[in-house]
Amino acid sequence: MKRDVPALVLFGLAALAPVVTRDGFLLDSLILILLWGAVSGAWNVAGGYAGQVSLGHSAFFGLGAYSAALLATRWNQSPWLGLLVGALLATVAGLVIGYLANRLKGPYFGLATIAFSQVLLILASRWRAVTSGSEGIPVPFRPGFATLGFQSKIPWVYLVLTLAIGIYLVARYLETSRPGYQLAGVREDEDAAEALGIPCRRLKVAAVAASAALTSVCGGLWAQYVGFVDPFYVFSVDLSVRFALNSIIGGLGTAIGPFVGSLLITSLETYLRATFSDFKAGLIGIYLIIYGCLLIVVVRFVPQGLVGWIGERLRAMGRYARA
Amino acid sequence: MGAVPQLIVSTVLLGGIYALIAVGLTLIFGIMRVVNFAHGEFLMLGMYLAFWSFTLWGLDPYVILLVAVPLFFAIGLLTYALVMRGVVKASHNVQIFTTVGLSTALQNAALVAWTGDFRFVRPWHSGVVIRIGEAAFNLSQVVAFLVAVLFTAALVAFMKWTRAGRIMRATAQDVEAATLMGIDTDRVYRLAWSIGLVCVGIAGVLMSPLYSVYPTAGLQFVLLAYVVVVLGGLGDMIGALLGSLIVAGVEVLGSYYLGSAWKEVIYFVLFIAVLVFRPAGLFGQRGSETLGA
Repeated sequence: MKRDVPALVLFGLAALAPVVTRDGFLLDSLILILLWGAVSGAWNVAGGYAGQVSLGHSAFFGLGAYSAALLATRWNQSPWLGLLVGALLATVAGLVIGYLANRLKGPYFGLATIAFSQVLLILASRWRAVTSGSEGIPVPFRPGFATLGFQSKIPWVYLVLTLAIGIYLVARYLETSRPGYQLAGVREDEDAAEALGIPCRRLKVAAVAASAALTSVCGGLWAQYVGFVDPFYVFSVDLSVRFALNSIIGGLGTAIGPFVGSLLITSLETYLRATFSDFKAGLIGIYLIIYGCLLIVVVRFVPQGLVGWIGERLRAMGRYARA
Repeated sequence: MGAVPQLIVSTVLLGGIYALIAVGLTLIFGIMRVVNFAHGEFLMLGMYLAFWSFTLWGLDPYVILLVAVPLFFAIGLLTYALVMRGVVKASHNVQIFTTVGLSTALQNAALVAWTGDFRFVRPWHSGVVIRIGEAAFNLSQVVAFLVAVLFTAALVAFMKWTRAGRIMRATAQDVEAATLMGIDTDRVYRLAWSIGLVCVGIAGVLMSPLYSVYPTAGLQFVLLAYVVVVLGGLGDMIGALLGSLIVAGVEVLGSYYLGSAWKEVIYFVLFIAVLVFRPAGLFGQRGSETLGA
């Protein structure tokens, strides 16, 4: 329970925010922080807990976004159904890529996943008959809970918060359950784990598939919230890097890490967007330059992430106090 | 059958250019054991160097080659000292995200500085068509091929016959033994990194008259270079040359039969297939331990 205190504080504050403020800008920032934190948490299931560092998770995010958007626009279905279909498609895609790339380690797993996301990008931008090609798809606004259209931001806060808590709980399950411990064994030393009779292959594939399904659900919700799906954005490598970045800055393989990372990174982005949008829109890309530099600095100097670093500091202080 | 000579010539010309990108990559991988995710961004910088020199001062890309060699060597020394030096001995994850971070930063710096517009370098020689028999190709392509082959050959010779090359190969084979023999591995890594960047920078300049220039131009070529490097066996330069020809052949045939719109799909599918079925390369096992194959 003690480990859940930071999460309780963070999610508790998020839940209270709509009571305190009705400011659209602040609530929008909050929704994005939670949403990007949730996707990053989903990435973390594969990248942090299973050690399958993917650089193509935008593939699953895009699958979710397209499923929700296409079912709503072309077949006039509820986006809830879209979320489900997206999650199923992403699970299948995750199983396939997880199985194919299973033998690959480190950088090569990353490269294979980048290639996979690029294949989906080309399909989405060229297969005009179904996806409207590179123009993207505007998602129509249809009010109501069943169609995920809300006039106010407040339902969105609670919806995304629920998703975030769900993904946090999945991560906590991986920290305290038998499959979770087995996964940690596979990540740290695959040969030793295999020798102990742990089904390494199956566990890794399952972790990638679960991570893909969760990522896809986030993608579907994001498409509904933002109202537009652009293939060059949802399948981009930048987006995949962003998922990884939040987790790394917060702490790889920690449940709360992705949300801490997202809090920092998303706030920074929102701030820079607000600052630069008036006079020079082109400068918005600066936040991506800062992403890149931050990534280099963090993995070099704080490879365990902020959560790990703060934990170490607290434990050191504890020892000091007792002595 | 009329298309066959053309297909063969295109394959060879394209293969020569891919080889220059791949040789730099395989050099860095073979010696530093680092997969450079930012390789494509240096290619993009080479293309922009050619574009701006051509647009602002009317300088031909081939003149720029003379500037590009020392320039990219200097960029190599700088990025090594600032970014790579501290992570050469770090874990996979740290190395991946360091070079990914470098890639993101460079790509978006280009985007902010020069916008996402597609730019073109069209010097006089890109319009000159040479015909031999039934095959036709343009002069820029031929020169790019020749320079690329010359460079690759020079690099292979350097690695084989000079003292510095021997030291680099020794480090690639066994870092501990090399260190015990008094080799300053830090200098070796710095040199390998910088030479690798010179190769890819030159490749960028040479390719500028043939392809459009934009901030993410490097991505497809670098993934392609990885296919080449994996096919040829990691760290193996001759393998990289053969791999380039194979990849170029697949690309040329693919665009001929399926149309160029889908040829990128072929790259990526080929890439995944190679990684899945032949992760140790077609010719050898070198470096396969890094893949866990």
